Amino acid sequence: MKNASRSALISLLSEACELEHGLACSYLYAAFTLKLSVSENDLTWQEFQSLRIWAGQLYFIASQEMMHLSQAWNLLTAIGGTPYYMRPNFPQGHKYYPIGLPLKLEPFGRRALKRFTFYELPSHVSDTAFLEKEFRIKLSAIEKAFTVGKLYTEIRACFNAIPQDELFIGDKSLQVGADICHFNEIVKVTDRESANRAIDTIMEQGEGNSNDQVDCHYGLFVRLDKELDQLEQAARTRSGKFEPARPAIEDPITSFDRNMGPQGAHKIEDPYTNDVAILFDNVYSLMLRMLQYVFQSGPLPADGQRRFAEAAIQIMARALKPLGEALTLLPAGPSYPGKTAGPAFGLYRHVSLPADFNAATIMVNERFEELIAEGRKLSTHPKAPAVLLSGISKLEDIANRLMFTPKPITV
Amino acid sequence: MDKNYDVIIIGAGVAGALIADKLAKKWKVLLLEAGEKGRERVELVGSYLTATAQTLGSPYKPVPAPAKNMAPSPDGTNDYYDQPPGTENPMVFKSTYERRVGGSTWHWLGNCPRLLPSDFKSNTLYGFGKDWPITYDDLEPWYCQAEKELGVAGDHEQLNGLFGAHRSQAFPMNRIWPSYSDLKVAEALQGAAQQWSDFNNEPMVLFCTPQARNSVPYDGRPVCTGNSSCVPICPVGAKYDGSVHVNKAVANKATLSEKSIVTRITAAKDGSITGVTFIDWDGREHSVSAKLVVLAANAIESPKLLLLSGLANRSDQVGRNLMDHPQGEGLCVSREPLFPFRGPPTTSGIDKFRDGAFRKDFCAFRMSMGNDGGGRTQSPANVLNQLLKTDFGASLRTKLREKVIRQFRISFLAEMKPLPSNRVTLSSQVDDAMIPRPKLSFNVDDYTMKGFDRIADVMRSILLALGSKPEDLVLPNHSTPFLAAGHIMGTCRMGTDPNDSVVDAECRSHDHKNLFIAGSSVFPTGGTANPTLTIAAISLRMAQSIDNQLKMSQT
Repeated sequence: MKNASRSALISLLSEACELEHGLACSYLYAAFTLKLSVSENDLTWQEFQSLRIWAGQLYFIASQEMMHLSQAWNLLTAIGGTPYYMRPNFPQGHKYYPIGLPLKLEPFGRRALKRFTFYELPSHVSDTAFLEKEFRIKLSAIEKAFTVGKLYTEIRACFNAIPQDELFIGDKSLQVGADICHFNEIVKVTDRESANRAIDTIMEQGEGNSNDQVDCHYGLFVRLDKELDQLEQAARTRSGKFEPARPAIEDPITSFDRNMGPQGAHKIEDPYTNDVAILFDNVYSLMLRMLQYVFQSGPLPADGQRRFAEAAIQIMARALKPLGEALTLLPAGPSYPGKTAGPAFGLYRHVSLPADFNAATIMVNERFEELIAEGRKLSTHPKAPAVLLSGISKLEDIANRLMFTPKPITV
Repeated sequence: MDKNYDVIIIGAGVAGALIADKLAKKWKVLLLEAGEKGRERVELVGSYLTATAQTLGSPYKPVPAPAKNMAPSPDGTNDYYDQPPGTENPMVFKSTYERRVGGSTWHWLGNCPRLLPSDFKSNTLYGFGKDWPITYDDLEPWYCQAEKELGVAGDHEQLNGLFGAHRSQAFPMNRIWPSYSDLKVAEALQGAAQQWSDFNNEPMVLFCTPQARNSVPYDGRPVCTGNSSCVPICPVGAKYDGSVHVNKAVANKATLSEKSIVTRITAAKDGSITGVTFIDWDGREHSVSAKLVVLAANAIESPKLLLLSGLANRSDQVGRNLMDHPQGEGLCVSREPLFPFRGPPTTSGIDKFRDGAFRKDFCAFRMSMGNDGGGRTQSPANVLNQLLKTDFGASLRTKLREKVIRQFRISFLAEMKPLPSNRVTLSSQVDDAMIPRPKLSFNVDDYTMKGFDRIADVMRSILLALGSKPEDLVLPNHSTPFLAAGHIMGTCRMGTDPNDSVVDAECRSHDHKNLFIAGSSVFPTGGTANPTLTIAAISLRMAQSIDNQLKMSQT
């Protein structure tokens, strides 16, 4: 491979980190918008069952993308890099990645599913007429499109081109396995063989392989699209409509985003909703900082690495999920009549936790207290959906059960 | 439907479905099922949710209810079985099954442990039952194939070599992640009493329970989303059920005939099987012929049909040696919250007691750690009913929550000896199709009941280590009626001697060379493994034997 070097590989892996992370956010946004109650509009309970199944699949895919992000961190630290969690905020410029389609926060629907299908497109799939029709992309552009699969192909080539004894300079104790972080398939990367295994796992889960395009992300999105189509047709047959998603705006941003000019951004105008959205972003940021800490620290006292990992994963599932769902129930503001908001997944600073475990614990505990206090306040508002209170109580439970009492610092 | 087939398979449960799928690629296969294919999964879930009595069978009652119940499935101890009333006799046979396309795997839990090597040699090693005519090593490659076909998630590293049960291939999917309560129990086990004089000195540790439940999307079916209602129905299809292979068999051009109750297997004077006679749900009789018949109708319906047909019983073993895995629970209220009901009802177990010299004296058992609160006997609804006697309002809500999140149960499966007196015969009572109902004689002897006392000791140790108060423990004992596992086995057992077994090592009838019997009715002993994986492995092995036999008959 031409120009294979450590810095080129770190650059590619960092791009992979951004993409996996961004994809997870896109998939989560779609999942958050799915209606979860039969009382929402005219869902029949059979339609509601389908939505529950779809939500389950989307959350699973998003969790695998987070596993891919974590795996990319193992790949980075193996070669001397560091775990990287930044990514461009939404909305993204469509030329930011040579991927053909920008990542986007949009509600669940045909368009979102077609987009997701494209992100995970296997290299040999040629039926791309839907992309031409849906997104007005020319076939020749699709052929050149730099999909996630192609990015990992390039990463693999780089790993295989650089001599192992030169490349794998990272501290092996930083590698994180399933015993620390509850990702079943995560691989500790220490050499070329384990690096290839890690990349194989990511690619098979995403675009599948020549034997299987059914159970990978691509196959799942194709299936979801087909099932959605079937339910829409069934609804039309009975002269009804099937609207599985809440009417959330696309690419929301909060007032915290000072870069308020990007084309396609939708600023949340309702003050209460905006405060909830800022809370979401802050909890999200805390989760990322804690997860990054797990991957950059190695073994910590008092089983700290595993407990930080568990707290981060529990924040994702038990706090961010209800907060995200709550936002899709809240009004976006007067400029968006009939529309609800959604989480912006805004990231504004890349502030790592300090290396010292005691100091890191103090900072995390402080942040938990601040966010829980803010969450409690927002939960008392008359507009607060029940699911918001659920999310805050879960955040409090995580903080109480998993975090440490730090040693007092004497100055 | 045609009149002539290469193979007729009676019963579209997991055994029949797997065999049909494998054979239909090359042979003309008819798959007959007494029950119906039924409604879509989502409708079955709706039936369960709205059922007044949420039993195992409640999702599956035909809608609308037919005028006559032509293919009744037992949903209790006396609604179909002819046996003493369950209210009067704790030893009655309690397991039930579903007669429908896909069979009882619709409501199984999904656990898929393998039998151990010693389970195949219980007579040689421990002096009871009969040795199987095949060994663990004979079946091992088929176990691997069965795990792929069903889609079993498990931990290969952990389970490889368990009591000598080597694994030549990894599971097709990584394990379902342990539940939160599993993690707490694993911590508690370190503080639990570990030494009993009867058992080996290996520590009690949790092992993952291999299960036919998708830990990732697999075979076009979704990943488990933690609905925790596996029994009686998986709302999303992440848990395997036999309809998966029925659909594959039909895609391979097998003919499926639902609502077809076989009343007789027909034989020529020389003993060769010629075909079957069946009636449909309208009562019309049909006859079909075949070169070979596979009887895969579960361990009660299969012997019933053989007895009705007067076939395969030179040994007088058809219907005998009826076995189940007597099952029970130990319950507690843990000191710390365990937050059950997130994920499948069980994800881990203790395998330490599945083998050892003690099996000469009392039964082996396997323990499952529950992720479903108070299990079958102390459900949240039961807890609520109890609390309603004294509480209401906020106090009720708090007490209910505080108890339910701390409830924990350990279940056990105990081995029982095959006893010739435990048997299926034909009742004088008939069902709506005018077919004799099965008459059951059943008892659990001291070999198993002695084990219950040991089990209680072990459970006490674990539950106290979880910080439960002694007064909150509910433990099985000698007088506790056991629960049913749904593991119906033994009634057409395998063996090398035609005088004391029904089928040979290939599951071919000793008496009729073109009659095969599939399913757990062929098990000589039950071990402590849920039987479905072994059923699947034997069925896949049998399919190859049948294929070879049919090929040879053509030359």
